[in-house]
Amino acid sequence: MIHSQILERIQETPSTVTLKFDWIEKVLPGQFIMIWVPGQGEIPMSMSFTGKPKGITVKAYGPPSRQLQQMGRGDTLYFRGPYGVPFTEIRGAKLIVGAGSGIASLLPLVDRNSTVMVSAKTESDLIYRGKINAKRIIYLTDDGTYGIKGFPDQVIKDVHPDDFEYIYVCGPEAMMYKVLLALKGRNDRAEFSLERSMKCGIGICDSCSIDGIQLCREGPVRGIGWLRESKEFGMTKLDRSGRRVRIEL
Amino acid sequence: MLSQSVAGIVLESPLMLASGILDQNGYTMKRVLESGAAAVVTKSIGVEPREGYFPPIVSVFEGGLLNAVGLSNPGIIHIGTEISIAKEAGKPVIGSIFGATPDEFLRLGSAMEDMKVSGVELNLSCPHVKGVGAEVGSDPALVKQIVSTLKGSLSIPVFSKLSPNVSSVLEIATAASDSDGLVLINTVKGMAVDIYARRPVLSNMYGGLSGPAIKPVGIRYVYEVKKELDPVIIGVGGIETADDAIEYMMAGASAVQIGTALMKHGISVFSTIKKGVAEFLEKEGIKSVSEIVGVAVQ
Repeated sequence: MIHSQILERIQETPSTVTLKFDWIEKVLPGQFIMIWVPGQGEIPMSMSFTGKPKGITVKAYGPPSRQLQQMGRGDTLYFRGPYGVPFTEIRGAKLIVGAGSGIASLLPLVDRNSTVMVSAKTESDLIYRGKINAKRIIYLTDDGTYGIKGFPDQVIKDVHPDDFEYIYVCGPEAMMYKVLLALKGRNDRAEFSLERSMKCGIGICDSCSIDGIQLCREGPVRGIGWLRESKEFGMTKLDRSGRRVRIEL
Repeated sequence: MLSQSVAGIVLESPLMLASGILDQNGYTMKRVLESGAAAVVTKSIGVEPREGYFPPIVSVFEGGLLNAVGLSNPGIIHIGTEISIAKEAGKPVIGSIFGATPDEFLRLGSAMEDMKVSGVELNLSCPHVKGVGAEVGSDPALVKQIVSTLKGSLSIPVFSKLSPNVSSVLEIATAASDSDGLVLINTVKGMAVDIYARRPVLSNMYGGLSGPAIKPVGIRYVYEVKKELDPVIIGVGGIETADDAIEYMMAGASAVQIGTALMKHGISVFSTIKKGVAEFLEKEGIKSVSEIVGVAVQ
């Protein structure tokens, strides 16, 4: 287990906190760590800052993430990693689509060639507002409290996705599935960061598997061509007991 | 050359996937079979769904892996979907089951038989859940009763997976000797403490140790049980290479199971080991892999 002291705590939104820490390991955009909160549990976290210092952006879901949000400068983080296949990085024109906390794993990809769509339920859930240094930023909220009222799949064609060399997507599976459908005709140069219940992080427990591949090892980033062939993406997943359940679209 | 029959189950090679590793989702099991495993054993299935322990459920170290997953499983009525998907690969699927009483094992075993599995493996050895697994498997009278109940009712082969965490493996192996085969060994009970957090790493505190560190323990029990009781044995514990698989077979195993090696080598470990075993047999002038079973037993 690696351990590092927190350098800085940033309250991003009322429910989201970024923690920055030193770690010399090379980490690529899209990769994640398994972060252990002693006494509370261990959870996968995407790296939202991959330079120096590194950082994670934590939304409160359960006991480990709630405890992480209480931590501050000088507190110790315990983690293992980095794990997973990163996004393919390119210099050209990028369309980046992040919904909810999905924007956290996409943040390290953003540059002056990026058009970024940031989608959230409501205004107070929009993270990194005013901090994203991109060519163009489009905000969306489900309830219309800020930016465009609606969902990324409804407006993606307005930015002409064919004009972009690469498209990157991360967010709830229902949103990603609808974006996949909205990108009809495109079978390459688009990558999605997927999510399944993740327990071991090292490719053996089968919790995070989709279509036979383990997201912790051969994901979480998968290409659009593979996703179009998937029998499980946007359809079913296994819950924490291993029971197959439908994904609500 | 590599095909092997174990308690009437015909395997294209002696290499099976061990229970507990990549065997919860049907699509994963199907992929493991298509990638070279001759058979898969499902995650251990109980009567009711169980989420298992909250992570950390694993702790990795140089010699292997410590785990306490906590028998997470969807329950017997929901595993059928996954078994059907796995069976699309056209190879044997063995259903692992765990319970507290002979009646529970019978109910689970009968349901597995209805799902057309090729055999059942009784988990008499999980080291980290109260009331089942090794707690059942360390009571010789209960083991005997469970095995005879299932043998009396099922027509598919019944395998008993035994624990090394008992005072006498031979005594338990004797109690389970009505089984069609014994699976030796489950993980060795262990623990890890993080020295900076100053507390146990696994949420369950105790776990089961697997990987290269336990191979000599597995070889010893396979050898000893083969020599004393001569049952059909499936060897498991720390197999990472063709040499490891051959060693287990020479000590008395008719087939072997591979699990933790997937952490380091991925799913391709099955085809790598298969190729290595074939090369060994060819080099040594051995016509069939069955000829090496137990040759080291003196």
